[in-house]
Amino acid sequence: MNSPLLQVAGLRVAVGGKEILTGLDLTVRAGEVHAIMGPNGSGKSTLAHVLAGREGYEVTGGSASYRGQDLLAMAPEERARAGIFLGFQYPIEIPGVSNVYLLRSALNARRAARGESEIDAAGFLRLVRDKARLMQMDESFLQRGVNEGFSGGEKKRNEIFQMAVLEPTLAILDETDSGLDIDALKVVANGVNSLRSAERSFVLVTHYQRLLDYIRPDFVHVLAGGRIIRTGDRTLALELEAGGYDQVLAAAAS
Amino acid sequence: MLPERPWRTAASLARDGAGLPDWPAEWRASALARLDEAGMPDGSDEEWRYTSLTAWGQRWSDYLAAAGQPAAITLPAVPSMQPGSVARPAAIHVQVVNGALLTQTGATPPGLFVGSLRQLPPELRGRAAELLGKSAGLPPEQLVDLNSALVSDVILIGTDAGTSFDGLPVHIHLQGSGSPAFSHPRILVDVARSSRLTLTIEHSGADGMLANAVTQAWIGHGAHLDLVRVQSLPDDGMLTDTSHIDLAAAASARITSVDLGGLLSRQSMTVVLAGAGSSATVDGLFLADDRRHIDNRTLLEHRAPGTTSRESFRGLADGHGRGIFNGKIIVMPGAEGSNAALSNRNLLLAATAEIDTKPELEIYVDDVKCSHGATTGQLDANALFYLRSRGLDPAAARQVLTAAFLREALGHIALPELRERLEARLQEKLGGGVRHP
Repeated sequence: MNSPLLQVAGLRVAVGGKEILTGLDLTVRAGEVHAIMGPNGSGKSTLAHVLAGREGYEVTGGSASYRGQDLLAMAPEERARAGIFLGFQYPIEIPGVSNVYLLRSALNARRAARGESEIDAAGFLRLVRDKARLMQMDESFLQRGVNEGFSGGEKKRNEIFQMAVLEPTLAILDETDSGLDIDALKVVANGVNSLRSAERSFVLVTHYQRLLDYIRPDFVHVLAGGRIIRTGDRTLALELEAGGYDQVLAAAAS
Repeated sequence: MLPERPWRTAASLARDGAGLPDWPAEWRASALARLDEAGMPDGSDEEWRYTSLTAWGQRWSDYLAAAGQPAAITLPAVPSMQPGSVARPAAIHVQVVNGALLTQTGATPPGLFVGSLRQLPPELRGRAAELLGKSAGLPPEQLVDLNSALVSDVILIGTDAGTSFDGLPVHIHLQGSGSPAFSHPRILVDVARSSRLTLTIEHSGADGMLANAVTQAWIGHGAHLDLVRVQSLPDDGMLTDTSHIDLAAAASARITSVDLGGLLSRQSMTVVLAGAGSSATVDGLFLADDRRHIDNRTLLEHRAPGTTSRESFRGLADGHGRGIFNGKIIVMPGAEGSNAALSNRNLLLAATAEIDTKPELEIYVDDVKCSHGATTGQLDANALFYLRSRGLDPAAARQVLTAAFLREALGHIALPELRERLEARLQEKLGGGVRHP
């Protein structure tokens, strides 16, 4: 058995003095797809943000390691350069910074961290064009400001496009499915599926089972009260869909 | 210390070297008389609330002391105009040193005049006199009077009715040389009926410079002026810059003002929408980093029905810099159906820096649409995290966001090369010099 890519053990996290994660355990190995499901307020987004290094979260206990390194000691950009990608639930609009500029800067930051030279212009262009085609995005999007004036669906699609260009080792997608119509959901799922590989892992944070019709997870976890209370295969998601969170929560409590 | 009535001392020094035709003499005399009355602006004047001219006056005093030596007031010779040898120049460049035209490159095609009042072709005398008359007819302002009293040259730019020079921008480079140098550049622009002109005015110079520039432009019926003003003084440069732009019916102006340098820079821009249906777009950018003091006072006056203005200034203050935006829109009686929008957004990047913003609306008619607003803040923490989550380090993320914020103000510059040059300058300045707490 290969060693875990991500190992979270007994993680406790507070925001503004209120404990949101109350001892969370999660192990993700290379090539695996994990779905984290749970009701609103269960701590799903907190988990995604803490793993990406957002400020304002106080780790009060437990640990998280990535490739054997203390993840929590790394700055957000160090995590990104080490291959972690966060797909935002609410992607930020950054007028005046074009998508290609952001991607080139991000790629080169990664390359510099690995001691590689900057990507050549032609290779870069080819890469972003290929990936834009994969995400069925018009090339004009590349020159536009990051998420500037994008619809909700376009923003999510842009997140997956960025992920496709940056080719992370661990992608954490925070409610990427929310606010998507069925066509956009298929495009997003197709983007994720095309990136699945034996080396790349995904953590899909989602409220609904719908996404999992298109991206088949290896594991489904139910997050409630800041902890993972049940883990199963994709049939657990169907169970949640049929019975709702209440039933699963009640069963776990009894 | 400045002598009593320093403009008189300065005028007596400046007169001999000026070489201007006789006929603006009266113009200068009346300016001196008004200065005797009004003196220099000070803090008691609301419009000068944010900027003190003390340091400016000190430099003037240094200049007067040095100007007693004849060498210091020698003006550059006016070159002979280059004949139209270049078949189709891409641009006209005019170099103005210490207020006097020094060189001009690029031949002017028929319908366009660019040159010095000192070398005016006889057939343009009537038009120049008319323009000078318009200038003299404007409401008096102390710094304009000071410029009129001490002016050593007048740069004239004029188009003939119905001509278009969109593809032939006129670049005026105002420079100060010598230390100390006090220059009084004066530019008069006449964009005749139904013509189009693209003009850039760049203020620069050497250490120790002091300049009091005045630009006045009249845009005729249905005509258009594209104007870019760039202030890129040396770090200790000082500039007061007054401009007046008057629009006739159906005329339009697109103005971009950029302040990147200097120690003390104060501009006062008045745009008068005098004719029905005229419109003006004003974008501004100022970078008050280091110890810079940059004061922008703008006035947009709607005097006729159906006039439109949109003004947007973006500013940044860092280090011990101070940036000021004092923008006013007045909608006068008779300007029914007008439309005005004014916005000022600022980034304050250090606790030791300061931003003062004062957007004002004065409306004297009912049937108008006006909006105004100002914000001053820090970089958006969410955007910073977003960029860091993509691998950019904090310094790079801040630089990217700061440059993007300011760059928006350059979006209306119609000359791609100039826009790119300014963007590069901005990037360079932010990359090299802007500190963050």
